[in-house]
Amino acid sequence: MDFKLTEEQSALVEAVQAILGDHSELTVSNRHGFCHFDHKLQHLLLENGFLDAGRDLGALEAALVTIEASRIPATVEVGASAIVAARLLPDERVEGPIALIGEGGLDKPVRNLPVARTAFVESGDDVLVLKIEAKDVEITPSIYAYPFGRFRTEPDLTRCQRIVGAAVQLRQWWRVALAAECSGTAQSAIAFTIDHVNNRQVLGRAVGSYQSVQHRLVQCHMIAQGIHFLTLRAAWSGDPAHADEAACYAQQHVQKFMVDLHQFNGAMGVTNEHLLHFWTYRLRALQSEAGGAHGAARSIARARWARSSMPKVAGGRA
Amino acid sequence: MIEELKAHEDFRQQVREWLARNLPKDWQAEMLGASEDEHAAFQKRWFRQMREGGYVAPHWPKQWGGGGMSFPQQIVLFEELARAGAPRLVLYFISLYHAPATLLEWGSEEQRKRHLPAILTGDEIWCQGFSEPGAGSDLASLRTKAERRGDVYVINGQKTWSSNAYRARYCLLLARTDSTAPKHKGISYFILDLESKGVTRRPIRMLTGGSHFCELFLDNVEIPAENRIGEEGQGWAVAQSTLASERGLTALEFAERMRQALALLVRDASKPAPWGGRFIDDAGIRRQLVDVHIGTETLHVLVGNMLTRALRGDGGGSEASIIKIYHSEMLQKFTDLGVQLGGISGQYVQSVLMGGGYESGYWMHDNLYSWACTIAGGSNEIQRNIIAEKTLGLPREPKLASGH
Repeated sequence: MDFKLTEEQSALVEAVQAILGDHSELTVSNRHGFCHFDHKLQHLLLENGFLDAGRDLGALEAALVTIEASRIPATVEVGASAIVAARLLPDERVEGPIALIGEGGLDKPVRNLPVARTAFVESGDDVLVLKIEAKDVEITPSIYAYPFGRFRTEPDLTRCQRIVGAAVQLRQWWRVALAAECSGTAQSAIAFTIDHVNNRQVLGRAVGSYQSVQHRLVQCHMIAQGIHFLTLRAAWSGDPAHADEAACYAQQHVQKFMVDLHQFNGAMGVTNEHLLHFWTYRLRALQSEAGGAHGAARSIARARWARSSMPKVAGGRA
Repeated sequence: MIEELKAHEDFRQQVREWLARNLPKDWQAEMLGASEDEHAAFQKRWFRQMREGGYVAPHWPKQWGGGGMSFPQQIVLFEELARAGAPRLVLYFISLYHAPATLLEWGSEEQRKRHLPAILTGDEIWCQGFSEPGAGSDLASLRTKAERRGDVYVINGQKTWSSNAYRARYCLLLARTDSTAPKHKGISYFILDLESKGVTRRPIRMLTGGSHFCELFLDNVEIPAENRIGEEGQGWAVAQSTLASERGLTALEFAERMRQALALLVRDASKPAPWGGRFIDDAGIRRQLVDVHIGTETLHVLVGNMLTRALRGDGGGSEASIIKIYHSEMLQKFTDLGVQLGGISGQYVQSVLMGGGYESGYWMHDNLYSWACTIAGGSNEIQRNIIAEKTLGLPREPKLASGH
């Protein structure tokens, strides 16, 4: 792929950044919670057409919007609407926000379910499009920086629209979307930490002047770069293998970000008076979605070395 | 970048056809366990063959006998060489990259005329005399002295890690001409004729059993003043041009070769395991293979990004440092998995595939050599310092006050 953005892609990124810029700071009242879902921003992104980037422009453009929206401490739902829905239902507008539910996940806490108006539910080889009303969902208390909820009672799936044979596609674009969120989120968490270590003095020196800190931050930066370009390639190519690679790489490195970034933010970094968790706890939530790193790894192995007699693991597709 | 490469599909086909006709089919059999002399002879044959095809110096200007190829054409050529598993011209690395990059930017017309055509004959081999026992990562601390006496400089000191110095005729030499100047400013750059009186070369035997690195002992060696490159005291700036030539397309070649070599790991993983079945059917082995596969793909996209930026004339970031770290550390994981798959028999030092890539499939040798790759070319720790300062904007580690 061409890693240099076109003029149109650069303009798109600048436009979404302009809107996000007004929402990049949390108000004092929102700073001390575990999660702040920005409904106003969600509406603005919808109204200004950014959530249609996947339909109107392409998956790469949708991934760029998702990455940008993931950089701010507040949460919005972009990946499922802009990337996944646009691929699964290219000719239909689906009411968002959208939650994504894997096989067997209807009775479990689901990311974004409390704010979602639609869910894509993996069902065998198919995908069901489930309309959601607020009264159907109860909030699940969570320390992750996304709203989590579960259905009060098992939803009636008999009236759902069924997208036949779309489960593989759902898994593919879900992985692209989560990798895009990891990319923007990780880059911001690193930038936040760099700012902290440049300002925080220890033993008369900035924390960031110690090589022991620098080298680990460099490693985080390198990983974030890898996630970023693997994600863009997966969005651009539409190749399921690339989606698996991007998600696997992103998800298996979450723990590295968690350990190093919290470490370098010191004791305040493990409190919710510090903003770091708004990014790192999103990463942690994304770590196990869509089969997690092991699910993506199994998918890669199966696709590349199909003759294997690897035993199947119950309860997971990948 | 993709558009620029697409425009050269005809050229790609031409290279592919040339390789199909000219790449010796049995070169691996011939070079497996070959002696240093046999390897050097083979390198010379392959160099001449590549030269006949017009591919040995694609980056050199036509004026000096090179291919004068555009950057996208060079990318295509290196991709195809890697995909075909062609031997690397390791004997000529300094001759083809470092020497011309230095001479074309800083050398006199006389120096260029004397050396560039001679390099393309394949007979004039060069090495590099930068590192010293006390000056590796901190190259500017070098202590080899060059004292001007009339029309010559008299050199005294010791150099180390000079690849192929045993076979080289000329050496790109850094030496200190002013010990009172700040350390970066007192250095000058010379062309050293290794057949000069007072030069002693001593091969260094590596853990791999090979000995392509040498030490150079320089005792009252005289270098004519006209063999200085650049002005006196300008050596550090000249050396930056030399070192810059290592980056870029070599990264592409390494990334592409590693990608191709994954098939060798899969080949070995497909062999019967002692516990029954095949290694590749073991979940742990499969997971390691996946990690290595993703690592090679990540390296591939990072190199793609760097080349795209270079194509647009925007190559000043720290991408080369990131790729250097990434490649060398991946190489250790990659070859370590190969050793694991070899089981007990993989623990023996096997024959070496001379001129092969870093992942030749002879895993013990590959793994042992991979340890050098995180040190050579600027250690990974130095690269991390560069990225920390240049890209992340972190403060330099303060220097201790003198006397401490």
